[in-house]
Amino acid sequence: MRVFAPKPSVPISMSDVPSIRIAGIHKSFGPLEVLRGVSFDVHRGSVVSVIGASGSGKSTLLRCVNYLETPNAGEIYIDGEPLGTCVDARGQSRPRSLGEINTMRRELGVVFQQFNLWPHMTVLGNVIEAPIRVRKVSRKEAVEYGEECLRRVKLLDKADEYPARLSGGQQQRAAIARALAMRPKAMLFDEATSSLDPELTDEVLGVMRELAADGTTMIVVTHEMNFAHEVSDRVIFLHQGLIEEEGPPADLFGAPKSERLRQFLSKYRK
Amino acid sequence: MGNWERLVWNQRDVLLAGFVVTVEVCAIAFAAAIIGGLMLCLMRLYVPPLRLVAIVLIEFFRDTPIFVQLMWVAYVWPEVFGFPNSFFNAGWLALALQSSGYLAETFRAGIEAVPSGQREAAFSAGMSQAQTFTRIVVPQVALATAPSIVNQFTVIVKSSTLISVITVPDLMSQSQKLVNVWYEPIEILTATAAIYIAFVFAISLAGKLLADRLRQRYGLAAS
Repeated sequence: MRVFAPKPSVPISMSDVPSIRIAGIHKSFGPLEVLRGVSFDVHRGSVVSVIGASGSGKSTLLRCVNYLETPNAGEIYIDGEPLGTCVDARGQSRPRSLGEINTMRRELGVVFQQFNLWPHMTVLGNVIEAPIRVRKVSRKEAVEYGEECLRRVKLLDKADEYPARLSGGQQQRAAIARALAMRPKAMLFDEATSSLDPELTDEVLGVMRELAADGTTMIVVTHEMNFAHEVSDRVIFLHQGLIEEEGPPADLFGAPKSERLRQFLSKYRK
Repeated sequence: MGNWERLVWNQRDVLLAGFVVTVEVCAIAFAAAIIGGLMLCLMRLYVPPLRLVAIVLIEFFRDTPIFVQLMWVAYVWPEVFGFPNSFFNAGWLALALQSSGYLAETFRAGIEAVPSGQREAAFSAGMSQAQTFTRIVVPQVALATAPSIVNQFTVIVKSSTLISVITVPDLMSQSQKLVNVWYEPIEILTATAAIYIAFVFAISLAGKLLADRLRQRYGLAAS
């Protein structure tokens, strides 16, 4: 059964509305309770990094944010609007249909650990597919903006290549360009560098740093502690499906309060 | 060389006429098998009420010997269903039924082999189920299964020799007629075998070239 979280308090002005509000997300797979009530806000132009051990629920949380996994309880709000529910003509709250969720989730660009580029399309084909099919922009306009996105990730010279011909780092940058091409309100990165060599990791992190510097709203699930430390406005440490500690990176990395976070960070300092 | 000239070269029109019928029957059977296989596969995967029907049909088509199916379609169907109305139609229909069972399973394996991340990337970009299926899943299935589909064509060609039994004048049938006229099987049947080998080899080669090209261009593990 789905339990809906209470609506957030009515905001005073638009600028107070977080770009993404994650409110009391619970998620179980059978008897396994992966998320046990996670809540935080992501404000426009800010970067929130989610860190934690494997199995702490980081990736599941990110998948819940755009409803690739439907939360068992809680709600995601994009610019104040609930993603999973809406109010019908009679003022009743009801779950959104799959089509309505699709409409909402186009506002969130997702970058996956395994890239998930479509192998039968060129890099540019990957980038312009959703803008043409979903946003219904003209092909010309999609190509123009797609090329701009590829330029941003320094991959314009590979526009006509098929994904199989690219290195892992190039594939991931192409995937970032594909997500950017939809002009999303926020970007979600799900361990975007975890399947890359250290050298390739740097080129992808470089692109992500530039996006952050340009004011892109981002939620970054990562094992890259340096990146989380240097780029994030806020860091969330998940442990067994709950937020164990959160705050500015200087506090979390400089003076961790919880013993679990200290233990977690010590593994990275070795 | 006298026998080869007399029995094969001079009878080339008869053999060619038979070859044309073989190509016609196989081409129609192949097209029908692809359509039938696709329908059975979609029924099995996406239409729960018809799933069991699809499984029973697929297994029936795959598990019955082609000869039995041919006889059944040629002699039972006209009595029970009122069609097919000619042995030519019975021939391609029986070949198509059996191959549709195999192709349905090939398509299903292809669809199930598309990694879930491919669909998730499409859904995340706001693409609908239908868009995801037609734009992301189907092209990948087509690319990955193309060599297997071509291979199924060679199976049809080889099985098609049986339709001579129901008097369809295909290559095998024509060649048997020549043997019965001259009582000289060596040259005629050897030539017939050579034509089948060349035809099947050409199709296999086309399939292999296609697979290589797909692998090279898209990096797909073509089967």
